[in-house]
Amino acid sequence: MAELLLEVGCEEMPASWISGLTDQIRQRFIEVAGRERLDPRDVRAFGAPRRLVVVAAVVEGQSAREEQVFGPALRAARDASGKWTAAAEGFARKNGVAPEELGQAAKDPARPDELSLTFVRKTAGRPSIEVLPAVIGTVLRAIAFPRRMSWDAWIDDGKGAFPFGRPIRWMVALLDGRVVPLAIHAMVDGAKGAVVVETGTRTFGHRFLPREAAGRPVDVASFDGFKQALARHFVLVDPAEREARIRDGLRTAAGGAGADHELVSEWRDLVEFPTVLVGRVPDEFTTLPGEVLDTVLVHHQKYIPLRGAGGDGVRFAAVVDGDGANAGEIVRGMERVVVARLRDAAFFFAEDRKRPLAERVADLEGVVFHQGLGTYKDKAGRMVRLVDAMAAAGVLAKGEHETAREAAKLAKADLTTLMVREFPELQGIMGGLYLEAEGPQRGAVARAVRWHYHPLSIEETAPPKGSVKAEEANVFGAVSLADKLDTLAGYFALELTPKGSSDPFGLRRAGLGVIRVLLDFWEPRAGKQPDLKALIGEAATGYAGVLKAPPATTQQGLETFFLDRLAYVLGTRGFDQDEVAAVVHTPGVDALHDVQDVLLRLRALHAARAEARDDFEHLAVAFKRAKNILEKAPPAAIDPKLFESDAERELHAAVDRLGARDGSYEERLRALAGLRAPVDRFFDDVLVMAEDAKVRANRLGLLQQTVSLFYRIADISKLGGTI
Amino acid sequence: MTGKPGMTLQEIIGALQRYWSDRGCLIHQPWDGEVGAGTMHPETFLRVLGPQPWRVAYVQPSRRPADGRYGENPNRLYKHQQLQVILKPAPADVQDLYLRSLTAIGIDPAAHDVRFEEDNWESPTLGAWGIGWQVLLDGQEITQFTYFQQAGGIDLAPISAEITYGLERIAMYLQDVDDVYKLRWSDDRLYGEVRKEEEYELSRYSFELADTDLHRRLYDSYLAEGWRVLKTPGGRSALPAYDWCLKSSHAFNVLDARGAISVSQRAGMILGIRKLACAIAAQYALPAGGEAARG
Repeated sequence: MAELLLEVGCEEMPASWISGLTDQIRQRFIEVAGRERLDPRDVRAFGAPRRLVVVAAVVEGQSAREEQVFGPALRAARDASGKWTAAAEGFARKNGVAPEELGQAAKDPARPDELSLTFVRKTAGRPSIEVLPAVIGTVLRAIAFPRRMSWDAWIDDGKGAFPFGRPIRWMVALLDGRVVPLAIHAMVDGAKGAVVVETGTRTFGHRFLPREAAGRPVDVASFDGFKQALARHFVLVDPAEREARIRDGLRTAAGGAGADHELVSEWRDLVEFPTVLVGRVPDEFTTLPGEVLDTVLVHHQKYIPLRGAGGDGVRFAAVVDGDGANAGEIVRGMERVVVARLRDAAFFFAEDRKRPLAERVADLEGVVFHQGLGTYKDKAGRMVRLVDAMAAAGVLAKGEHETAREAAKLAKADLTTLMVREFPELQGIMGGLYLEAEGPQRGAVARAVRWHYHPLSIEETAPPKGSVKAEEANVFGAVSLADKLDTLAGYFALELTPKGSSDPFGLRRAGLGVIRVLLDFWEPRAGKQPDLKALIGEAATGYAGVLKAPPATTQQGLETFFLDRLAYVLGTRGFDQDEVAAVVHTPGVDALHDVQDVLLRLRALHAARAEARDDFEHLAVAFKRAKNILEKAPPAAIDPKLFESDAERELHAAVDRLGARDGSYEERLRALAGLRAPVDRFFDDVLVMAEDAKVRANRLGLLQQTVSLFYRIADISKLGGTI
Repeated sequence: MTGKPGMTLQEIIGALQRYWSDRGCLIHQPWDGEVGAGTMHPETFLRVLGPQPWRVAYVQPSRRPADGRYGENPNRLYKHQQLQVILKPAPADVQDLYLRSLTAIGIDPAAHDVRFEEDNWESPTLGAWGIGWQVLLDGQEITQFTYFQQAGGIDLAPISAEITYGLERIAMYLQDVDDVYKLRWSDDRLYGEVRKEEEYELSRYSFELADTDLHRRLYDSYLAEGWRVLKTPGGRSALPAYDWCLKSSHAFNVLDARGAISVSQRAGMILGIRKLACAIAAQYALPAGGEAARG
């Protein structure tokens, strides 16, 4: 085996691309080198902003290939006198042998008697170094970028123009230290021009470090040497090493704080030699809300806020690409940018609070929600209407209703504030903060406005879990539901539904949010929680006067969408997909009427099934069989007098007994196991499709009753199972 | 940098122009009409079309009426100055060329954190977009760096590199001031002395005084004149048509700053400008169009 080292040196690629591209180049290399019989092993790939690296063991030369080729059919190979025909001789000549040396085999395995002349063509393997240029070219072409660019490049592989993620500036391609030759040309007037990049032994380290040798090429021969040379030139090729250095830096500089911040993985792929520096936020800004401070630091500057770590004030950690010499001046520069931004923010914060938020509702008339769906003022009106519908359905107490109504009216008002116009990611948060500042009487409304864009992610513990108090859960829930349902109804009416991987308006996430509010947040009042099906209808009719799409069509689309979202959420919670399908798609109850009930039924099914797995599997199969039979002929109401065998009477008695049973979902499902014996006996002893139509319909009736016995809880036939 | 005062604004401009002149750039003048960015200058927008090589650098005062702050915000301006460089085709060492230009104005990249962070550029009014970065100096954006991919809706070959220096930002960094109006423009004049009143009056005009009905009519008339000129038989009218196109774009910006454009109108008005810009680019790039005539 020989070591292949490939490095593609680029201009800076976006941090968010690096890990995906690293996976891709590795996968593509395994596929293409495998196809070319190079037997790639121990394939590893590394990515950094200016390079993608692959190292692998490959064979020195391709293995030889044998392939059987077919010539003329045997009957056309000799003439009547037994002499070789011209066709046979031609085939033999083409393969450089005498006709006698050819073999015979059936070309079509389905016709083993029809033999043809055959020849086993042997292709010698080529040395790997000759095969690798095309392999590397194919791999580079096969990488899919989130966005490609033309950089006037050309590869001589018959395809010509060679767009890439960023311009390639150097390439290292070495097979045990020997250069694998590959050239990228300039494209001039749509044709091949001069060579712009050629593979070689030279890599490049950090742009400016080490100071005495900045920007100079570095000769390498093997991966180990390459890695060490680059480390000396301030590039850590392995992302894991960069991440470790960042965590070390955070521990040292910040006393351990911030080491788990979400920015760490982005930092890792943002620089090639990370060094952590620490700056300070001037005390005058520490009175700004923490959310505002974090937005400036985290989202705009990619700095990690450190609170309390230094004892006083707010500090921030930043990553730089280099050795951190001259840290004092660099940090001063960073602090100046932070101060300029925070000064803006402080100005916005003061300006915005000069008017009560309620005054801004009228301004929403100037802010379009979506072309065709009106302004945010219209949207706020529709949200209030949906909150009213929830109150009318009795799922909100009077006090809850008033608070939720006010919050729905005000929820979008912060879109007109200077702060949100400058920092859109603070929508909702600023509304909440400004309301809070208006006085303690605004507290509950403020919190509902603050959180109404949530829940944003699917995890049960994701925000606002822990932030929304139980007694305010329904106020938050009502506003959150109203916002999302209105958005979904509008976009569905415009037929801007999510398709495949395209969901530009985040509608799937909105759908998950609705399901999560109902499952994880809503506190049922007297056992009642919002009927999603009814709310979908309300939301769709909210656009009735505005949009041409009939509300019924919108509603139908949304119902299907929500059943899918519901199944998706439940599937992430440790239940098997067949269990989810059994409770979500049971004919006995519409899942959307009561989403929490779906979860209760699912838990019961999961528990009961775990106790009697064998029985459930067995019954699932029997019920499927029963449903197949029921598709063939209509059942009738059961008339016990028409039963002819004990097996029928026994099953009927068991079904009656179970049907009359009370108790929790789980208790009732547990009793289901008792059906196994009578069902088995019924199928063993009874011919359902009896000649006598009445007897037949009666038996079908009994089967119908058996399978539908638990439809109110779950459709057992949807469970997987084997006999 | 610490301890000694950084270059004045005019010294920075002089140094950058000298630097790029030494690297084969023609030093051009700012466009003599209102534009929002150096990219709109015909020496960029039209010259990046077609196959002819081109290297140019110029300062472009750029008007963004909506960014006006009456001279009160230390970081935002109605009119800021860009130094724009076009290198067509983009040379393979274009990033190094750029980094050395920083050295020419007294920034030692090795002593700072200089980074190229993804920031693609798009101009819906010009039907143009490109791939590139914002260049960060210790966290401060000082330059926009773009490989043009399309202009006027036309796929470009060869690809041009566009380097746009934000002159006020860079000067503030070099002089270590946090208020743009305290920048030293020359040895004896501050930026505020030169421009603050202008910022106030232009902000007041675009937020309070601009006649919106007039600007609507202007927008329509400018576009109409642009189309009329462009469609005049005989060709060779792309350059004057482009003048009108730029004027319509500025009228749009004024209306936008006055809050006189609803979101639905907005998309339509941008499209109106883009259609003309694309038609101009198409005529310019024709075999017998302006690009060929210029040789």
